[in-house]
Amino acid sequence: MKQFQYLRPATQQAVLDVINKPGTKIIAGGTNLVDLMKRGVATPDKLVDINHLPLKNITITKTGLHIGALALNSVVSENDLVAKKQPLLAMALKAGASPQLRNMATVGGNMMQRTRCGYFYDTTMPCNKRVPGSGCGAYEGVNRMHAIFGGSEQCIAVHPSDMCVSLAALDAEVIIAGKKGERRLPFTEFHRLPGDHPEMDNQLTAGELIIGVEIPDNNFSKNSYYLKVRDRQSYAFALVSVAAALDIENGIIQHARLAMGGVAHKPWRLFDAERSLIGKPASEDNFKQAAQLAMQGAKGYGYNSFKLKLGPATIAEALKHAAGLV
Amino acid sequence: MEKEESFHGPDIEPDVEDSSRRNFLKQSSLLTAVALTPVTALKAAEMRVDDKVASVFEKLPLKMEVNGKQQNLSVEPRSTLLDILREQLDLTGTKKGCDHGQCGACTVHVDGKRINSCLTLGIMMNGKKITTIEGLAKGDQLHPMQEAFIKHDGFQCGYCTPGQIMSAVACIREGHAGSEQEIREYMSGNICRCGAYPNIVNAILEVKDGGQTV
Amino acid sequence: MEKVINLNMPSSSDGMSRIDGRLKVTGAAKYSAEYTVEGLTYGVLVGSTITNGTITSMDTKAAEHAPGVLAVVTHLNAPKVPGFQPDPSKPAPKKGPLKIFDDNKIVYNGQPIALVIADTYERALYGASLVKAQYNKEPHQTSLQESIGKGYPPHGDGLYKRGTEDAWKLAPFKVEQEYIVSTNTHNPMELHAIIARWDADDKLTVWDKTQGVKATQNDVARLFKIPVHNVQVNSKFVGGAFGSALRTWPHEVAAIVGAKVVKRPVKLVLSRADMFTSVGYRPYTWQKIAIGATADGKLTGITHEAYGQTSAYENFTEGTVRVSLNTYACPNVNTKYNLVSLNVGTPTWMRGPGEATGAFALESALDELSYDLKLDPIELRLRNYAEVDPESGKPYSSKFLNEAYQMGADHIGWKERKQEPGAVKKDGWFVGYGMGGGMFGAYRDGATVKATMMTDGRLILQTAVSDIGPGTGTAMVLIAAEKMGIPADKITFENGESDLPDAPMQGGSGTTSSVGSAVHDACAELKQKFQKLIGNGDTDNPDYVQVLKQHNLPLLEVTTKSNGGDERKNYSMNSWSVHFVRVLVNAATGVVKIDKVASVADSGHIVSPKTARSQVVGGAIGGIGMALMEESIIDHRYGRYINNNFADYHVPVNADIPQIDALFVNKPDPYINPMGAKGMAEIALIGMAAAVANAVYNASGKRVRELPITPDKVMA
Repeated sequence: MKQFQYLRPATQQAVLDVINKPGTKIIAGGTNLVDLMKRGVATPDKLVDINHLPLKNITITKTGLHIGALALNSVVSENDLVAKKQPLLAMALKAGASPQLRNMATVGGNMMQRTRCGYFYDTTMPCNKRVPGSGCGAYEGVNRMHAIFGGSEQCIAVHPSDMCVSLAALDAEVIIAGKKGERRLPFTEFHRLPGDHPEMDNQLTAGELIIGVEIPDNNFSKNSYYLKVRDRQSYAFALVSVAAALDIENGIIQHARLAMGGVAHKPWRLFDAERSLIGKPASEDNFKQAAQLAMQGAKGYGYNSFKLKLGPATIAEALKHAAGLV
Repeated sequence: MEKEESFHGPDIEPDVEDSSRRNFLKQSSLLTAVALTPVTALKAAEMRVDDKVASVFEKLPLKMEVNGKQQNLSVEPRSTLLDILREQLDLTGTKKGCDHGQCGACTVHVDGKRINSCLTLGIMMNGKKITTIEGLAKGDQLHPMQEAFIKHDGFQCGYCTPGQIMSAVACIREGHAGSEQEIREYMSGNICRCGAYPNIVNAILEVKDGGQTV
Repeated sequence: MEKVINLNMPSSSDGMSRIDGRLKVTGAAKYSAEYTVEGLTYGVLVGSTITNGTITSMDTKAAEHAPGVLAVVTHLNAPKVPGFQPDPSKPAPKKGPLKIFDDNKIVYNGQPIALVIADTYERALYGASLVKAQYNKEPHQTSLQESIGKGYPPHGDGLYKRGTEDAWKLAPFKVEQEYIVSTNTHNPMELHAIIARWDADDKLTVWDKTQGVKATQNDVARLFKIPVHNVQVNSKFVGGAFGSALRTWPHEVAAIVGAKVVKRPVKLVLSRADMFTSVGYRPYTWQKIAIGATADGKLTGITHEAYGQTSAYENFTEGTVRVSLNTYACPNVNTKYNLVSLNVGTPTWMRGPGEATGAFALESALDELSYDLKLDPIELRLRNYAEVDPESGKPYSSKFLNEAYQMGADHIGWKERKQEPGAVKKDGWFVGYGMGGGMFGAYRDGATVKATMMTDGRLILQTAVSDIGPGTGTAMVLIAAEKMGIPADKITFENGESDLPDAPMQGGSGTTSSVGSAVHDACAELKQKFQKLIGNGDTDNPDYVQVLKQHNLPLLEVTTKSNGGDERKNYSMNSWSVHFVRVLVNAATGVVKIDKVASVADSGHIVSPKTARSQVVGGAIGGIGMALMEESIIDHRYGRYINNNFADYHVPVNADIPQIDALFVNKPDPYINPMGAKGMAEIALIGMAAAVANAVYNASGKRVRELPITPDKVMA
């Protein structure tokens, strides 16, 4: 690992003052960044430690639940307010990584984690995300773990987070601090599709800091489920995952939220499928129809083409669990 | 939750001032912001002075408590807690199995919480309390989890064992040892290639059911 | 109170605990990289980024100038390793071990091209990242499937025939199928590591991860042309190996060369990524197997061919097709074994080695046949039960496999199995049962043990053998305790150092048999020596301390070499296993969960029930990994592994594994050795992958013939 300058500015303002310099990276839990630095994928000159900033609180606001960017994944997953109000988030968090990593990883860091694409990680391989213009190793390569939605010829990497899939489904907002003050972004718009600039994972601009997320209140807590399909039962990234949340009254779906992981460069919200469920009975048939609708526009690249079949199967299964049909 | 007051950065005073540092301090609105890398090193690097000279200045002081003992160290910011434990403190009970947070062999407790020491920069442990496998027993008296691992043969080669035991203790403390199934899930961050998993689960169940303080 | 142990099914707390347990649970057990050596430096290897070709130039300047870097060793400046140099009196061998830093040739991706040595690990690692090479790239081939036409027999014509060739074709019931076992990487938890220190120009000490300190000692002495007794190899604790430390690898030579260059001790620890390219693997193997049977399930012919991958510089062979020769009674068998030379590192034996690969094909194909015959898979095997070795015609020294079938079937609840696939579904999961068997030769090699009785009543056993985890020391202590009639806690076992008496490699399931016999014989001889002193041969267990004191002796010792006799001439000796599995297969997602396992070993007398149980459980889990998730994947365009880490190369985690019943027939083999104990390590894994695949078929009707059985393949 390259040497770097280690900084620990005392306040959020002091952090904002230093992070807009090129070659500067923020470190919180470090579970992804240190890994990337060890592999020479990330080579910061300056590392800004923000762990001491007061951004760990989980609180109820007028409109929802606020979670500080530095709240640990483990803490959020065990928090009573989260369990009561947003169980889908807790389920997704518990499906990710390992207990040790969840004790280190923060909510903000989880959002900022980079793809696990093997070509991205190996500095001898072509990767447009790591070195723009170098090509995409996965496009015609071993792309079993890769995207079926929203990919480009430049990049078919997927975002690896479970937490983010649930936050996308739950209409969360990202709260971002910058030199000019705070701004809010719908969670579904925070991460980007690769297009011609796969090196950019999200909408955060230089000098900005995620300070928290806010999840609006909803009626999903009774009928939520996070289903993650992976190559082993735990401690593995998703082949496909689905966050499903239903608001059911008298057997009829009032509202539905669906998002997928392991299928796109960002948590993949399934708006059409959600709409198709509204006003319908919570039945297996309806779930399967919605799942098929969700797959419109999906594209396989060879090794990952199984996701075209696994995807809808997982959506339907997750909805069944959410509705209590399993 | 960690108290901010208790958080102290390494109290290093750079021995040379230069304009880049002054600028930096001026730009940051708070003078308490500390640039922790001695500027001489950076300056030498910038000026392409022989790196070997610069290297002398690339270390930072690190104070942490390891197994109840205060350690005053001098480390490069890039040194991981794992490498500091193994190579500087000769606490080789904490193992390196993957070096990338993918196996759990390096599991230690930081302020009572289990973490992967391979993905933890040592410099970020300033002021923290670290417990490694060497700090678990009380003198000659093994920790109940260590006893249970022996009794249930929760290992073969023994290499993942320190990490498994640190995780197992945390698993019970966290309240995640309620059932076999829960233990399996919450012990899945520790890979055992010899395949001692069922024995590990049995050891944890015994300690949990025994009701001893862990 | 002494608890009565059911040796047929010990629980995890039954029997004597490991003698090194305390060291292992306190972190005090020291593995190769953990010794404090004065003046220690750190070495990090740089791997090639091409797959075939030559290095045209190297830029090591930046690395050499990096802080703390002491040396950058490459083929351009490395001192010549004497053992690498051609012997002018002999024709140059066409193939041979990789000669690290000897020339500019690159034959696989990740091949070490430089060793960067620095005063700290961090600096060596950073220095290594600065080494750059220019190459002349040549076309490479890393795909066995694409070059199967270039297969060749490693020995002779690679053919075996008994009876009529391809007799299966004439049978009324037949199965002909292809099976693929993907590359598996041993991936022991401990990274391969060595500390090398030159004590003089011709004297060397290494702390090294090896399954055989004597073999490493000999290899190193030969390579560096120094006297064998001037090489001290220490390997007190080995953090697993499963075969990966059965030979001396290039990185070990590199560290020794590096220590010579910097004139200081060098510690070299492989990275997890290096573990995929530098210390062998179970080779990707394509197999085709055809079995014919009569309507009542009698096998009439087996034809089995296998193509296994090897490197461009060495032929690695294993017993893949051998399983078809002698597992079942079948009059007509013909096999073909070919290698395919690729731009990859050389494979090596991985637990169960070729027999595990072969058994996946044979035991899967038999399962397929059982459905055609509408015959219970156990019944099919019983109808072809070999009472004598079908290959040699010799009687078995012992075989109680039929009892093992019964034990396993009872424990898994085989009677709940439905012959119709997909017949049982519960809460969205198909439920199915499968079984698969394994066999492996049971061996006994020569070994020497020194046994010393001290005046404080302690017995010290010394032998060079490595203990990579099975609990060798524990078993040896139990053998000695029984023979000497003293408590086990009075016995110390010292091992893993090359200046101790000779012992074979820990491999091939032979240690308990070989070294255990030597312990047994040494104790017998020591006891005789005591009895001579007493002058009363009838005293079965004399008071050793008293006798020493009476004769004013500080100790009494023997060094005993133990060899088997000619029993192998008369008997076919094998260990046997059968694995039973119940799986759940998710009807929607294709996810497979192992729900219950019963693994039964017919491995003679069980010396150490607790560690034996763990060994069988561990083998079963290794087999589950092979079956469900393990696969080292190369992107053949680049010839480079793309999942060379523990996040992407999946091995089972705790959540994958239920309680596993480890069962033992526990009947001594009367011929193999004084304990009647046969080997266990290999059979604990052999047959497991097929048992899982067969259970998946029984559950879901989906037959997967290419491992690993990941959800995508079950869904397809």
